[in-house]
Order: sequence, then C-alpha cells, then structure tokens
Amino acid sequence: MNTYVLKRLVQIIPTFLAVMLLVFLLVRLLPGDPASAVLGDRATAEIVERTNRELGLDRPLPVQFGLFVQRLLQGDLGDSISLKVPVLRLIAERLPVTLFLSVYAAVLGVLLAVPLAVLAAVRRNTWVDALIRGVFQVGLSLPVFYVALQLLTLLGARLGWFPIGGYGEGFTGHLYHLFLPALTLGLNLAAVLVRTLRNSVIEVLTAEYVSFARAKGLRGRVIMTRHVLRNALIATVTLLGLNIGGLIGGAVITESVFAIPGVGRLMVDAIFGRDYPVIQGLTLTFAVVVSLVFLVTDLIHSRLDPRVELN
Amino acid sequence: MNRLSQAALTLVAALSVSQALAATRGGQLVYGRYADSLFLDPVLNDANLDIWILTNLYDTLLQPTADGKGVQPGLASRYVASSDGKTLTLTLRPGLKFADGSALTGADVKWSLDRARKPDAGAWSSSLASIDTVTVSGNTVTLKLKRPDPTLPAALATFNAGIMPQKLFTAAPGKNDAEKAKAFAEKPIGSGPFVLSEWKRGSYMVLKRNPYYWKKGDDGKALPYLDSVRFEIIPDDNTRILKLQAGELQGAEFIPLSRVAELKRNAALDMELFPSTKVNSILMNNRPTLKNGTDNPLSDVRVRQALNYATNKDALIQVVTYGTGKPMTSYMSSTTPLFDSSQKGFPYDLAKAKSLLAASKYKGGFEVSVLATSGSADDLALLTALQQMWGAIGVRLKIEQVDAATKTARYRANDFQMRTAAWTNDINDPSQITSYYALFDNIESVHTGFKSAEIDKLFAQSQQELSRITRASQYRRIQSVYAAAAPIIYLYETPYPVALSKKVNGFVQIPLGNNIFASTWLTK
Repeated sequence: MNTYVLKRLVQIIPTFLAVMLLVFLLVRLLPGDPASAVLGDRATAEIVERTNRELGLDRPLPVQFGLFVQRLLQGDLGDSISLKVPVLRLIAERLPVTLFLSVYAAVLGVLLAVPLAVLAAVRRNTWVDALIRGVFQVGLSLPVFYVALQLLTLLGARLGWFPIGGYGEGFTGHLYHLFLPALTLGLNLAAVLVRTLRNSVIEVLTAEYVSFARAKGLRGRVIMTRHVLRNALIATVTLLGLNIGGLIGGAVITESVFAIPGVGRLMVDAIFGRDYPVIQGLTLTFAVVVSLVFLVTDLIHSRLDPRVELN
Repeated sequence: MNRLSQAALTLVAALSVSQALAATRGGQLVYGRYADSLFLDPVLNDANLDIWILTNLYDTLLQPTADGKGVQPGLASRYVASSDGKTLTLTLRPGLKFADGSALTGADVKWSLDRARKPDAGAWSSSLASIDTVTVSGNTVTLKLKRPDPTLPAALATFNAGIMPQKLFTAAPGKNDAEKAKAFAEKPIGSGPFVLSEWKRGSYMVLKRNPYYWKKGDDGKALPYLDSVRFEIIPDDNTRILKLQAGELQGAEFIPLSRVAELKRNAALDMELFPSTKVNSILMNNRPTLKNGTDNPLSDVRVRQALNYATNKDALIQVVTYGTGKPMTSYMSSTTPLFDSSQKGFPYDLAKAKSLLAASKYKGGFEVSVLATSGSADDLALLTALQQMWGAIGVRLKIEQVDAATKTARYRANDFQMRTAAWTNDINDPSQITSYYALFDNIESVHTGFKSAEIDKLFAQSQQELSRITRASQYRRIQSVYAAAAPIIYLYETPYPVALSKKVNGFVQIPLGNNIFASTWLTK
C-alpha cells in the first residue's frame, strides 16, 4: 500500500505542473491587468506603467513563467499584489478555515444523509420515503446563498441560537460559529448523498447475501450495519470524495454570506482584483487538496471493498 | 409653583441634560466594514479602504473640518502663510508623542513630508509638489514653496501627509523604502488617535486607543474616549445588517440605500446619512470616433446636452437611491469647497432635449452602449430607467455588463462609449476632482477626451491664486464652461449611509469618507 500511496503522490506532480501552466496563462488572458485593478480608475498611464514594471509584468510571458517556477521551487509563491504580503502566509492563514468548514460540512452532511437514506430505503415507496426525497430535492434546487440567508435569519437573528457570521476563537468557538455555514453546505451535500445512498441500500437489501444473512437468523440491525451499510457506503464514499471539490466551491458563496475569512473569499477578491500571485497560489493549493482527497477516497474505498486492489 | 422650586427644577433638568450629554470613557465599538484594508502605508497606497482607516492611525499637521469645507489645526496648532504665498510656517504642538510614547519631533515631520513628496512615491506625491524645501527649527516647520499654492493647507490635511516615526520606520527590515513600508505597515506606530493592535486579514482588525494622543475631550482628558474599535469584515450587506440588528455590531457602513427607510424605522438604531462628496455620473466618450473606428454621436455637444436634459434626475433619485440622493448641478459635489451654488445643471426638459437632438445630424435617434459593473444592482436599476427615459428621444441604450477590472481596463484604453462612474474627493479642495474631470493632460478628463483651453488656463491660474474670492470666481467659470460642454451625464449626489446603535455617540464620517472615531463614545 505504501508503494501505491507513493506512486499516487508522484502522479500528482504532472497534474500540478499542468495546473500551474494553465492557471498562469489563463489569468493573463483575463481582460485587465493587476496594476489597473489595484490602482483603480484614477491612476495615470505613467503610474500604471511604473507599477507593471515593478511587478515584472512588462517582461515576456516565458520569462515571467520561468521566474514563477524558479520561485516556486524555492517554496515562494510571491507576494499578493494588493495586500503586499506573501501568498504562502495568506494561504496558511486562510486554508485551515476553509478546510475546517468543508470537513464540518461533510460530517454534518453524512450525519444527516446516512440515517435518512437508510430510513427512506427501508420504508421505500411509502410517504416517509417520499417526504425525505422530496425535502432534499427541494433543498438541492435552492441556491446556496438563499439557504444561507434563511438559516441566518431564522436561527441566528430571530431565535438567537447561533452567532451571525464570523469564525470564532478556539475549536469550540469555530464549531459554534461555523455551524450554520456548515449546515448550509451540509444540507446541499446531504441532498446528493441521500439519493445515491438510498438506491445503494435498496440494491444491497435485495442482494442474495442479505437474504442469506436473514435466513441465518441475524438480527436486522446487524444485517444493516455489517452487510448493507458497509456495501452501500462504497458508492457514497466515492461520491463524497468527488463532492469535496464542490464543497470548496460552495464555500466561496457561503464564506461571503457568513463573513468567514477562508480561501473562498480570498479567491473571489483575488480574481476581481487580478491578483495573479494569489490566484496562482490558491489554484495550485486547490489542485493539491483535491488530489489528496481523491487519494484518501481511494484508500477508504479499498478498505471498504476488499475486491478493490491498490495498484 | 414658586420661583425657588422652578429654579430648582430647571437646575435639575439642566444637570440631567448635561449628564446625558457628557461623554463616558471606555468600551469597545464593534463596527462592520464591507471589505478589509489592503496596505496601511499612507504614501504608497490610496485605496479608500485604507485611507478611511489610516486617518485614525496617522495624524496630519492640519485636519479636514467635519463639514468638508476647510482645514483646522492638527499636530500643528497654527499655520501662517507669508504675504507672497511662498512660505508656510507651521507651529507644532508641544509634547507630541507617537503611540509608543516616543517623541514626535520636527525631524519626523520633515522626513514624513520629504518621503511623501518624492515624485515616484505613490499616486499622491503631486499634492505636495509645490514644496521646495522643508526646514525645522525647534517646534517650527517652515515650508518654502516653488510657487504660491492655495491647495497646500488642504494637502497637509490629507492622508498621504500623515506624520510617521522616522526612526521606527527606517529601523524596519527591508532593503528599500517599499520593503520597509511593507514591514512597517504590518505593525504601524503612528501619531493618530488609535494604534493597530491586532489584524487578522479578511476577518477583523482592532485599533486600541493611543494613550499619548494630543487632542483633549470635553472632560479635559486625552481623546479618544473609546478603549478600542474592532472592525469586523462582513462583505454581505444583509449579514452586516442582521449582525447590527442582533446587537453583535454597534455600527455598520455602506447600508444599501434600499434598506435605509426600513432601518430608519428601527427604534434601536440611528440610520445616519452623512453628507459626502460622492457624485454619480455617466462618463461619455467625446471623441469623434470610437476605438472600433465607428462614428460616435456623443462627439456632438448637442447630443450630449440632449441626453442630459432627457435624464429625469428626480425620478432616478427615487428609483436608484430611494429618495436619499440629490441632483448634481456641477461636476463636483455641493460639499466641495468652491462649489458654485448658482449652477443649474440640466433640469429635466424633454422638449429641449428633442429640439437639441433635432438640430444635430442624429435627429432620428441612434444606439449607444454603456459599460455597467456586472452584479451591481444600482447600475442595472439606473440604466434600465435611462433606457426608458432616453427612448423618449429615440436613443436606444445598450447595456454591456462587465466585471470591474475589465471595465477599468477598457476605460483606460478609451474603449468605451459610456460608462457608469462615481467619485469621492480625498482632499478638501476642488482641484483634485477638477484635475481629473476637466483637465485633458491628467487622465484625458476621466478618459472622456474632453479638452478646454479656457479651463486649462483658469485651472493653472487657480492653482496659484491666493485670493479665495478670485479663486471662487475662477471655479465658477470652470463649472459653467464644463456644464456647457456636457462631457458627462449629470446624475446625483449620494450620502454615506451608516447605521449605528443608539448607544453610539459622536461618530462622524466626513464628506471625504474618513471615519472619525476620536470623539466617539458609548452610552453605558
């Protein structure tokens, strides 16, 4: 397994290089330049030119790319153009926030999805099943910002159960402050998971080995946890892994509504401000995070399903 | 009731009023901002997000008055101009200190002004360009000027002329000024009423009171009254308002104008509309041909005037600003010094608009495109209303929505026919907005391409004119010439909407936008 993990980690390198080149070129294809974006409407042509020169943006693209790679090899992602601080520092400050939110959302999503999906599967084609599926279908079709605002207004402002936005201090502070945003993202994720998990559970419930287990006289709960859920979770884990990227994407909107200082908001600001080093640094970070999540998903997959060989 | 009891009652009432009005010290004000500051160096940066905080960290020799019309003493208790206008002598207050307790001396003043006026130092060095030399003797700072400069007192009250501690700045790590500025801006020590104590970028910033600040409060002790101000960064308008309503904030800036009436009805809040220097207009490309080579109807002054007369400002003020705005009658706001109140602007007159258009070669109407900022509800409300208004004279308005950086890039390349625009002054003087809006040589009159030899001449004279009366008449003429040429669509002025808890007293956002927390206090 160690060889497999090592191999997969090495495979991340070409992905990383491709993303690096692509993002380097794509940000420069966007209309507008960093100096104009940072200096705004009032800057004179002379000041814009001077700023672009200071930033090295007047050099040919291959030279700029060469410098970027050279710095990267030294572990330097450059300085943010608008904030004037190292990009690595910004990412180190903000990435844990988004990761905390994403993991929290994934946990809430799974905690909501698993029992409800099992219930829907066991009571399939009854009103309980219809209600669970119906509610999540509606939830899935609502925009994230709308759900976020409704939760904020009801649970935050009206009932005062949760703070309105912010990140809080310490682990419990983060748990408390991020509950509503994590729930917003978690609901969205649960809506996707419930559907798949319910179908998987139904499929497994009708499998021969489950009938055999019943015939052996195993109790329903044992059958459900040992046989049904374990098998049904395989597809769900894969889906969860695939949706981690979506969670980080959803965090962009959620972080703005809930005033959370994560990388989602940083990315939005960087794109609008044409802050090339920040966009590049964040895209590379996302590429690494998503690759690692996929690796972990595969490892979990192999543990859940002995038929899957890691090679 | 006998006289004695009447007098006693009056005394009690007077005492209770004075009790109610007396400022109480201490506490933290939590204030919601829509975005975080970027880079806290007064010289190398000029974003409003920074300026409006910087003025709390770095004091200036003079300060803008709260009405936005003039200047008042700051670190300098007095200033005197020589009769030829070529020398300005300022007297520093005795015993000035920076926030770390070290002495603020004339050497710091000289160093700060010399740094700020270096030609390649940021976008604002030109505001101090008339200074030839800065000399210091004890508490006296003498500025020898290359020419008389009536704008200099206002320039000395502007953020880039903030006084910084020379020793601390030069001791900061870094090879050059830019690197030192980066390092120093992380933990700046200044001369203003507050000092930065904590900054978690994108999340919050805490300013602590500077115990050595020179200004005294009503109780005779040093300002500020507050122990600290905590800025929470909350980009979403709804969340900012919800937090304020829930009592998690005591103040929130940039309340959407659509929510002002609702918050005014909230008994727990003071919905303030602070007069601002903000003018909202539509910039027109005045050139005969557009970037793509097509003919531009907007090069005809009659067409530009017609569009101005066909713009129903009162209706727009209701639709876009929810009644909070007021019509523009000059390119500068009515809060700008030397604004000419006799200016008429362009009152809504459809008949006049039609006749002006009929006199041009575009009497059958034409299509015109406007750049709007994507996602801006205000831009969309404004432009869809204008589509209808201008449709009445046969002009078809095409709205092109682009993101802010693209809009700026196309504007800078003169690749636009019209665009939405807003402006706020940074200095209590009309020269800044005039140099941008009416002078071609700066940025092509906000890239409209407008050029007037008469305005160029009047402006050059006004920059050396020491008589306020003569300068006012020069500016009166500049505003009239500009209006006649109508290079822009005059829309409306809008205030700064700030919602405050009823517990907050003495806060003011001045017309330049600076947030003044020095005299702010909280009712216990």
